[in-house]
Amino acid sequence: MHFWEGIRLSLQQIWAQKLKSFFSLLGIIIGITFLIAVITMVEGMDRYVKEDFAGSLFGVNTFTVIRRQQVTTGRTDEAERRRQRRNRELRMHDVEVVLEAAAGARNIAYSASSGGEVRYGQNSRRNIRIIGGSADYEAVQGWKVETGRGLTAIDDKQALQVAVIGSVIAERLFPTTSPLDKRIRANGYRFRVVGVLETQGGFTGNIRDASILIPFSSFQRTVAERRQEVDQIQVKVNEAEEMAPLMVSVEGALRRDRRLRPGEPNDFHLQTSNDLLSAWETINKILLIALPALVGISLVVGGIVIMNIMLLSVSDRTREIGLRKSLGAKRKDILFQFLTEASTLSIVGAILGIGAGFGLAKLVELFSPLPASLSVGAILSAVVLGLGVGIASGFYPAYRASKLDPIEALRSE
Amino acid sequence: MNADSPTDAIIVTHNLTKDYVMGAETVHALAGVDVEIKRNEYVAIMGPSGSGKSTFMNMIGCLDSPSGGEYVLNGQPVQDLDDDELARIRNREIGFVFQTFNLLPRATALHNVELPLIYAGVSSKERHRKAAEALGIVQLGDRMDHKPNELSGGQRQRVAIARALVNDPSILLADEPTGNLDSNTSDEIMEVFENLHKQGQTIIMVTHEFDIAAHAQRIITLVDGKVSSHDAEIPHHILVPASRTVEATTPAVPLDPTISSPILPGEAV
Ligand SMILES: Nc1ncnc2c1ncn2[C@@H]1O[C@H](COP(=O)(O)OP(=O)(O)OP(=O)(O)O)[C@@H](O)[C@H]1O
Ligand SMILES: [Mg+2]
Repeated sequence: MHFWEGIRLSLQQIWAQKLKSFFSLLGIIIGITFLIAVITMVEGMDRYVKEDFAGSLFGVNTFTVIRRQQVTTGRTDEAERRRQRRNRELRMHDVEVVLEAAAGARNIAYSASSGGEVRYGQNSRRNIRIIGGSADYEAVQGWKVETGRGLTAIDDKQALQVAVIGSVIAERLFPTTSPLDKRIRANGYRFRVVGVLETQGGFTGNIRDASILIPFSSFQRTVAERRQEVDQIQVKVNEAEEMAPLMVSVEGALRRDRRLRPGEPNDFHLQTSNDLLSAWETINKILLIALPALVGISLVVGGIVIMNIMLLSVSDRTREIGLRKSLGAKRKDILFQFLTEASTLSIVGAILGIGAGFGLAKLVELFSPLPASLSVGAILSAVVLGLGVGIASGFYPAYRASKLDPIEALRSE
Repeated sequence: MNADSPTDAIIVTHNLTKDYVMGAETVHALAGVDVEIKRNEYVAIMGPSGSGKSTFMNMIGCLDSPSGGEYVLNGQPVQDLDDDELARIRNREIGFVFQTFNLLPRATALHNVELPLIYAGVSSKERHRKAAEALGIVQLGDRMDHKPNELSGGQRQRVAIARALVNDPSILLADEPTGNLDSNTSDEIMEVFENLHKQGQTIIMVTHEFDIAAHAQRIITLVDGKVSSHDAEIPHHILVPASRTVEATTPAVPLDPTISSPILPGEAV
């Protein structure tokens, strides 16, 4: 077939005039760059939010009772926010209500935290989180201990001053020795290190890796300085389907306990990773609506440029067309030749765009926690779009070429 | 190609006309041409400038369509065919050699010769073989990968001839094929045509020069879009300059026109 021949010749032509070709293809390149960069980033962000961010903040298959909503989707208005500010703080009493209402859950953990600093001898680190967690806290959070042991129910019951420390803190305080059984000071209170957490790394990992975990009861006695508040009560279930009934039961129990009348709003908040996910969905939707418009405009511009180039090429090569016809080329052969050329041109543009777009996404990855994930779907849609633009914008010039009269074309110029 | 009956008419035109309307004026480029050309004939077409020679060739080559009259090629009336059928005839039945060579400048000699085969749907392997063979016939087997700008004028015209031959056409049409060449190179090209004719190729050639026309068996002279003579014999006064040219390139041959002129009237293959 002269199909490959056509592609080869078009590529030769593109290569022979690299700079001109580049500028001619700029529209398509920019359009596809946009497309790939945004899709790549949105997809990366999507994966990040769903798998990493939401999971590590709230846990998978976990709901949390908190005093008021933390992540808003933009739909929560100011009055609602003001109302939530009057919500009652959570206490150990609420923990007992939840423990009873959610008896079937896999784990239930409650915790409170505070900022602070740790010190061991000459070494110290500021801006850490000191978390007071109940025995199941590590399990609910999915935290693993690297060396030593985690916290136990006994630690909590006896309010032992023991701590499991994050990897960043372990490195800072104990650059040369083992942290186990050493006595550190957190906000001035003494704790014995019994374990070191696995490094999580990454964006959200910064929080965990720079935290120390102590028993909840010890936290209340020491760091909290007699403050009674429980920051959050987390309930983790085995299967996603178990979430809804348990949430209903916990909500009902808390409302009864707080004597809320029917119709009165909750004075606490039940949070799932859905809150965050729905906020993300909103952003996502906006991006995915804005994207086609941006891409569309650049592709239309790119298409017009290609149409111009092809018209120019047809008039430049009128003689060649006449010659080919005189040698037996049919209309469809000429049509096909110029369509192939236009498509090759635009596909080259698309490929450059894919490269540039992916490069852009990689650059973003380098300076942010967002992973760049280039999906087959994105590449495919870029190539199909490129091909579509090529055929659409090449058709008219190719049709004009195919209609040329052989002898008039041969006589031209 | 060597037909069993060399008297077969391959081209018959009857009252062929071509009018060009230029505003209020109409130019009768062909004003009723009746011509019959037989298989294996070698015919030269002569006539003053503007007499309609190229117009006639373009009609015969199915590059242009007549305003009126009939044209029968190989027993098939051509004037009513549609675009695609005409393209097929140009591809299979006709080999056209132009004065200006008309090669694709960026393509190699081989690729240029392959073009008609591409449109004939020949596989690439077969294309390569046939194109190389055709270049061999015009003695350019060693220049296959050269681009036109790496070839001399005569070599370019030989590539064009190879291209015209590659699909085994019924007729070879050449419109002033030596018009852009010097006289030595012209002789070279004429020799190629002569050899082709000896192998049975039907050739129709437009020329202004008598010594070129002298290579042909018959001269058709056009004047004002009409045939003014169908000379079956080439007049003696034409033969003399022809012999001179041949003598110039082959000095060993004695200066006798009847011997040095390789083709004489009626001396068909
Ligand atoms: N496309 C055209 N439009 C208008 N008139 C044309 C066209 N082509 C040819 N003619 C006219 O038709 C007549 C025949 O032209 P043609 O080219 O056939 O002459 P020719 O015998 O080949 O001349 P030459 O020896 O100079 O090549 C001329 O008068 C020319 O002006
Ligand atoms: Mg002419």
